[in-house]
Amino acid sequence: MSVPSASFDRYRIADLCVIVVLAGLVAWYCIDAVQASRNIYNLIFVLPVSGLVLVLCTVQFIVGATKLRRPQTEQEPIAHIVPVVALFAAYVLSLHWLGFDVGTFLFLSVFLWIHGERRLPWLFAYSLVFAALVSLFFSKMLPYPMPMLLLPTAY
Amino acid sequence: MLFSSASPWLIVIPGILIGLVFGAIPGLQISMAMAIFLPMTLYMDFMQAMLFLTAIFTGGGFGGSIPAVLMNIPGTSSAIATAFDGYPMSRAGKHNLALGVALGASCLGVLVGYTILLMLINPISELVLKIGPAEMSVVILWGITLIGGLSGGNLLKGVISGLVGLLVGTIGYSEAGVARGTFGSAYLLDGVPVIPAMIGMFAASELFRLVKTDYLVEDDAARKVNVRQVLSGFRSALSKPWIVLRGSFIGVFVGSVPGVGSSVANLLSYMATKRKHPDPESFGKGNPHGVMASEAANSTSEAGSMATLLALGIPGGGATAVMLAAFAMHNITGGPQFIREETDVVYAIILANFGQAFLLIGLGLLLIPVLANVVKVPMTYLVPSVLAMAVFGSFGLTGDLSGPITVLVFSVVGWLFKRYGYSVPAAVIGILLGSMAEDSIIYAYQISGGQWSYLLERPLAMAILVMLAFSLFGGHFVKLLTQRVRR
Repeated sequence: MSVPSASFDRYRIADLCVIVVLAGLVAWYCIDAVQASRNIYNLIFVLPVSGLVLVLCTVQFIVGATKLRRPQTEQEPIAHIVPVVALFAAYVLSLHWLGFDVGTFLFLSVFLWIHGERRLPWLFAYSLVFAALVSLFFSKMLPYPMPMLLLPTAY
Repeated sequence: MLFSSASPWLIVIPGILIGLVFGAIPGLQISMAMAIFLPMTLYMDFMQAMLFLTAIFTGGGFGGSIPAVLMNIPGTSSAIATAFDGYPMSRAGKHNLALGVALGASCLGVLVGYTILLMLINPISELVLKIGPAEMSVVILWGITLIGGLSGGNLLKGVISGLVGLLVGTIGYSEAGVARGTFGSAYLLDGVPVIPAMIGMFAASELFRLVKTDYLVEDDAARKVNVRQVLSGFRSALSKPWIVLRGSFIGVFVGSVPGVGSSVANLLSYMATKRKHPDPESFGKGNPHGVMASEAANSTSEAGSMATLLALGIPGGGATAVMLAAFAMHNITGGPQFIREETDVVYAIILANFGQAFLLIGLGLLLIPVLANVVKVPMTYLVPSVLAMAVFGSFGLTGDLSGPITVLVFSVVGWLFKRYGYSVPAAVIGILLGSMAEDSIIYAYQISGGQWSYLLERPLAMAILVMLAFSLFGGHFVKLLTQRVRR
């Protein structure tokens, strides 16, 4: 199923934005490398590859603006993805304070709740057992301390 | 001693199981398993220690394919190409078949690989010594060709993805001793953590897309664990010996190049099989030949890296580096002298791996039905659990929170890439090869004094360049030639 016409223009604009952001990041990296040192060992690879990427991005921008093909697969609605990405980001970025044990428990509980799990005892039991078992397993297996809030750790 | 007593084999079974488990859990590495269990080898003699460590290596080689097939998470960088077709097979309800194919190709690959090693250990070690930075640069150029080929629909976006990946792979300290692209973060001084980036781009981004599906396999009937299908997949791998043989040869020779190894071997084998197949478009959509090619190469590259370790004393990657540590713990130095003086031990290690391949068949067939049950777990539970496992695993790889943060950043990048038609595999391969490409070009520049004619003095580099040109333009050339002949 292809993308409906109504959303195709938005898709095209987003596609062009992605290429502009990519080119911008590559240009920034190239400038950062040049500013760090003009030594040939620093630039022998980065400079030509960055130049090539910028040329290809320009070509792709022109192609995208004039004859972008419709994607052949149906695109998942962004509204479904954003809450998951936001929750995952909150989980990862709070690990330093919440630790792997409590952070994982909260991440699983909230994810399951958002996605329709309403059997509270089951939801809490699964999140608790999973978070505890995996946290314990990794903390025993890894040679360095992990951040934990409740389980013992040397972090 | 190897075949007259059962005691050496008693440590092989736990070794294979440890490898299988560590390979199957995303984020845990084979090299990590070997490092954790390395102190145990102090209580073994050298031969037993080698058997134990190579058993972990063998088990882990197949173990990495399990999450690649079932969850699109290559357990190791050597299972990237396994996920290309293994995961679409799982989504189509052919997970049993895919796991059987992977096991069959892995076991056969180990057998073929060690047979090649048995016959060619000396020529291989001589060839490896001839591979210098110029050859490495050309091999990486070949990798870029692969990147173009892997991109499917949009070649331009595929090449951009690969080149951006190469640049990402060079972030951090350069040979000039300055930091680039680190945003001032100390975490990035050593570069972007490659495996967490790979987990983010392949797995987490795919999981975001699957949040609204009920099960990994939509068809209720196809979710059953079917041992017959596993066996059928296993047999089908054995029925295509040419694919396995081609993958095995690529695996042994590429695997023996230090630093390149199985992460490139599986891709080369996959691309070679795709090019030869009558329907190359079916690759990436669930063609079992893709799984076979990748698994044959990555399991065989173990033999290749062992060749370099035994013959030259040079470890090709993390796992063989741990083995080198085991050599040191037993006061043994690898290299030509070791091969000359301890020939019996070298051949015993090689022969023991034949036995390990047969044990892997039994243990793999026992374990697959248990692991295949993952398709019965509702996605509501599977998605957060796998995301959490990826976060734990990435912490395990880096030892700090840079791993989980890398997974997060690259999961969003991977999702955007997939949505807008960029090639995620090409970007990942680029990240893997970036710093190696830069180092090789710098060394080649130093050796040549900046003279391009230096390349003409390197026959191996020229041969690889010819192969590269042929793989780029060979198809068009043959087509043109055929048209002329027909006229």
